[in-house]
Amino acid sequence: MSIEITMPRLSDTMEQGTIIKWNAKEGDAVSAGDAVADIETDKATMEMQVYDDGTIVKILVAEGDTVEVGTVIAVMAEEDEDPAEVAASVNVQPAAQTTQPKQAAADAGPDETVQTETPVQPVMPAAQEPAPAETVPPVGAAQQIVAPATDGVGDGRLRVSPVARRLAEAHDIDVRTLQGSGPGGRVVKRDVLRAVDAGAETAAAIPPSAKAVVPATPVLLPGPIVQAPTVLQDQIVPLSNMRQIIARRLVEATTTIPHYQVTVSFDMEKLLELRTTLNEQLAEQGVKLSVNDFLVRCCALAMYQHPEFNASWGGDHVKIHGEVNIGIAISLPVERGGGLVVATLRNADQKSLRAISLETKLLAEKARTRGLSIDEMADTTFTISNLGMFGVDHFTAIINPPNSAILAVGAALQKPVVRDGELTIGYEMAATLSLDHRVIDGAMAAQYLRTLKGLIENPATLLV
Amino acid sequence: MSRQIEYRDALREAMSEEMRRDPRVFLMGEEVAQYNGAYKVSRGMLEEFGPQRVVDTPISETGFTGLAVGAAMMGLRPIIEFMSWSFSLVAADQILNNAPKMLYMSGGQFGCPIVFRGNNGAGGQLGSTHSWCVESLYANVPGLKMAIPFDPYDAKGLLKTAVRDDNPVFFLESERLLSVKGEVPEEEYLVPFQQALIRRPGADCTIVSFGRPLYFCLEAAQALAEDGIECEVIDGRTIRPLDIETIVESVRKTNYCVVVDQSWPFASVGAEIASQVHERCFDDLDNHVARVHADDVPPPYAYNLEQEMLPNARKICEAVRSVTYNA
Amino acid sequence: MTTRPAADENLAAKLPDETLRKWLRDMLLIREFEVRTMQAYQNRLIGGFCHIYVGQEAVAVGALAALEPTDPIITAYRDHGHALARGMDPKYCMAEMFGRIGGCAKGKGGSMHMFDKPHHMYGGHGIVGAQCPLAAGLAFARKYTDEVIENRASTGVAMCFLGDGALNQGAFHEAMNLAGVLHLPVIYVVENNGYAMGTSVARGTTMAHELTAKAAAYGIDATSLDGMDVMEVYNGMKPIVDRCRRSVQPAFVEARTYRYKGHSMSDPRKYRTKDEEQQYEAQDPIEKLAGFLMSERKFAEADYDSLAKAVRTQVREARQWTDLSPPPDIEELYTDVYADAWGPYHGTSLPLMMKDTQQE
Repeated sequence: MSIEITMPRLSDTMEQGTIIKWNAKEGDAVSAGDAVADIETDKATMEMQVYDDGTIVKILVAEGDTVEVGTVIAVMAEEDEDPAEVAASVNVQPAAQTTQPKQAAADAGPDETVQTETPVQPVMPAAQEPAPAETVPPVGAAQQIVAPATDGVGDGRLRVSPVARRLAEAHDIDVRTLQGSGPGGRVVKRDVLRAVDAGAETAAAIPPSAKAVVPATPVLLPGPIVQAPTVLQDQIVPLSNMRQIIARRLVEATTTIPHYQVTVSFDMEKLLELRTTLNEQLAEQGVKLSVNDFLVRCCALAMYQHPEFNASWGGDHVKIHGEVNIGIAISLPVERGGGLVVATLRNADQKSLRAISLETKLLAEKARTRGLSIDEMADTTFTISNLGMFGVDHFTAIINPPNSAILAVGAALQKPVVRDGELTIGYEMAATLSLDHRVIDGAMAAQYLRTLKGLIENPATLLV
Repeated sequence: MSRQIEYRDALREAMSEEMRRDPRVFLMGEEVAQYNGAYKVSRGMLEEFGPQRVVDTPISETGFTGLAVGAAMMGLRPIIEFMSWSFSLVAADQILNNAPKMLYMSGGQFGCPIVFRGNNGAGGQLGSTHSWCVESLYANVPGLKMAIPFDPYDAKGLLKTAVRDDNPVFFLESERLLSVKGEVPEEEYLVPFQQALIRRPGADCTIVSFGRPLYFCLEAAQALAEDGIECEVIDGRTIRPLDIETIVESVRKTNYCVVVDQSWPFASVGAEIASQVHERCFDDLDNHVARVHADDVPPPYAYNLEQEMLPNARKICEAVRSVTYNA
Repeated sequence: MTTRPAADENLAAKLPDETLRKWLRDMLLIREFEVRTMQAYQNRLIGGFCHIYVGQEAVAVGALAALEPTDPIITAYRDHGHALARGMDPKYCMAEMFGRIGGCAKGKGGSMHMFDKPHHMYGGHGIVGAQCPLAAGLAFARKYTDEVIENRASTGVAMCFLGDGALNQGAFHEAMNLAGVLHLPVIYVVENNGYAMGTSVARGTTMAHELTAKAAAYGIDATSLDGMDVMEVYNGMKPIVDRCRRSVQPAFVEARTYRYKGHSMSDPRKYRTKDEEQQYEAQDPIEKLAGFLMSERKFAEADYDSLAKAVRTQVREARQWTDLSPPPDIEELYTDVYADAWGPYHGTSLPLMMKDTQQE
């Protein structure tokens, strides 16, 4: 068996070596330990010895050539072999010289390469290169600097400490609404805690960050909601921000608030009469009162006798609010992605039916088109959810924290009613109050509903 | 039963008890025997244990620390006293290249159960060469353990644990604490490694430190409490292994952290802890972790300069106020 | 060039055939092992630094023959010869250099760090002179164990090999001083091969012509002997070992030898002449002992050939065993950092070598 002599590694860092000189030629007999060649390494010129006795039959790398460590540079026949036979069997191509290709690459003129590779183009600094068209709409330059809201907290320059961010999320506080007291306006923990203490939690089901899904200009959202499929099929619908928030908040509400419900029916005869009269009289002024407007006023006024309904659970206390802010659940059109928001009618107890009506319309309109501001959704103390317009008999609603109660209102329907001991046809409306038992007990709920019933069934009171 | 004894007595009790318990334990160093110890830590030990187990050496740190490595490889358990950790630098090859790596290099055959102990930190106007705080320099090396006792109780309990440990333990005492008195039980006890201690509870800001600077931390915490800022002062006790869990738990509660480390700031123990807290507590932090170190200068001689250079209660107060946005 | 008591001159010559044949076999084994090590290194199977012991075989074999097998020894980074002379199976030594789990240190030490607990070898050490204080510690521990723990007279001797370059390190001088003041039974054996890397002894140290002067300052008995003759090494070393053991005192020995190869594998040896190399190769320790055996002990060419063939086979088998031994698991990265397991570290296990030894 022939012995292959490979380019030895003669230093710890040596990668390739150059044969400076062969001290043996083909046909020479050598002994183990003989220095058969001088090799130039990265560090020095060293002797290369052979480890066995035998005859050099083939030299494969010439003097002056450089090869990688491990490359076969010569072949020996062992002592008991016929050198001629071994030489004949050697079929090794001369090793590729590593210096050659490198040289060739280095020789290639840089000018040539660049010119052939790059199409003729006037000098254009990289900064002026146009951005891909779709990322920058062809509008005013000012809009181009708007940074994407990468973290959902605005323009990216908002500074929020990690724990402040976490706390704000837990309390559904929009950090953008807070004045940061840290360096550079950084919103820090105490800013969030102050906001929590001040009761500045957004009472709306949807924190303002969800507004991000509502673009400033109406755009049809992609997705299955927009166009009902003609054939039902399995689909995975990704959650919008609003859907995620609704899911989280309502699960939280149902799992942490001990809910119970009390249902009552109202005789709507007088109220509907009054409504018809008022609407006729005020039609010229563009006023059109809804049943819901009456209900808002009724619920608000009832708070004077039942302040504990205008309250929030505080863990170790109950907070009774000084303002009566009635929340009105507003469903959003499917074109806007669906979902719902709760608009705030501030100081509803101090507003006339006309004012309530007007404000409610404005809020609903805004909610369904441009979206509500945080202020317009914050600080509710009691919520009304009305599905009467869909003809629903009655239903129950989930409390909108930090409220302690929500009134779910069905439609005023023609029904056989017993009035003054006689069966007759009348209008009846069922409403179900959902309550937080930590704040309001059943008897209290009954008393509130009795007061409400008194107001609805004797609506003249509402005018004063 | 417990009594008040000095830090140096606590150290001696630990060594003497361990030497009575285990004949393989011996004490070696400069002036440890006939002189009774340069700082009287080993007073009386020569009489009890004799010159074969309480061994005076010439001023020859490379020699006797290397001797300890060889003796430990053969199964003895040397306690090597450095008069000052500043002098350990001349033995760096032995304590850093040999002791902590021998087990690894030998594939688990030869360990080095040695306690290297002595004074660490500025002693008081000793100048640049004699005021080393070696914790950051040495804690970088895997294979060694490092303990820093705060009071006599820990001085004894941690040293006994160190002697029983099968790895090289760097035990950093303080010249300025040797005469501090504290409660130490009559009964035997050990203080385990990697078990930090809350020296003062508080909800508003976590302060982490080791050894002597803890006194400044406690002083600062007292001053801050008068202003309504309640600091939680954590004594890490051992740097290797580090009880990061206790620190993390505290920071999750307070949302603020100040690390006080008497060594230099660059590539330091303080930097390491700050980094780990940032990694572990990112969403719990209301501000970056603040560090209070010795200033990045050689220790000066002049009294006022030296005091200014070292961590002190004023600097710690400033750091806490700043990091909690109360500056 | 040696100064030693005349009475000891014939100690080695009085030893039985089998002992001398064992010496010859050990030296042949080291040489064959080192040649195959060089070959493997040049074929890139061994990494890092690699220092070859060829030429110095007589020192390790002769000096260790003067010790009890339980006397601790320690050496520097040119350590394969000492490991093999001490009895390490070449397969563990080769596997260590190949970075295999079967290596004496599970592939974590490499060429410069041969440790062998069963054979009381406390390592090859990579930092020049750093092993000298450790040797004092080995002697201290042997003495301490006898006197303090076992309550008996000291019985041990530690032997520390170092190169002539280590004479200029502080660690060496501190260790010599400590060995003197603490009365430690340790023998410092300087293998004076003439060169500290590429710096000849005379260029690196004072009193190069009389290195025993280094010991005189410490009041330590010193001897110089011919390190190219294993019988001379033994003749010089045996009385010193016995005296150290008996008197519980240190000693210093200069063994004059020659490193046939470079300092490390990447040394072109331009600092010395071919003539010089050939001059030393002419007084080869292996040929010298073989010559003695042939002329005095009915040792034939054929006996030599069969010994040479046996070690070739042994080394080839060691190589084959090494090839079969896998590289360490990545898990091994984290073992042996600490003796106990804490943090991310995994604790410690024994190398295969020690498990094998325990089974035997």
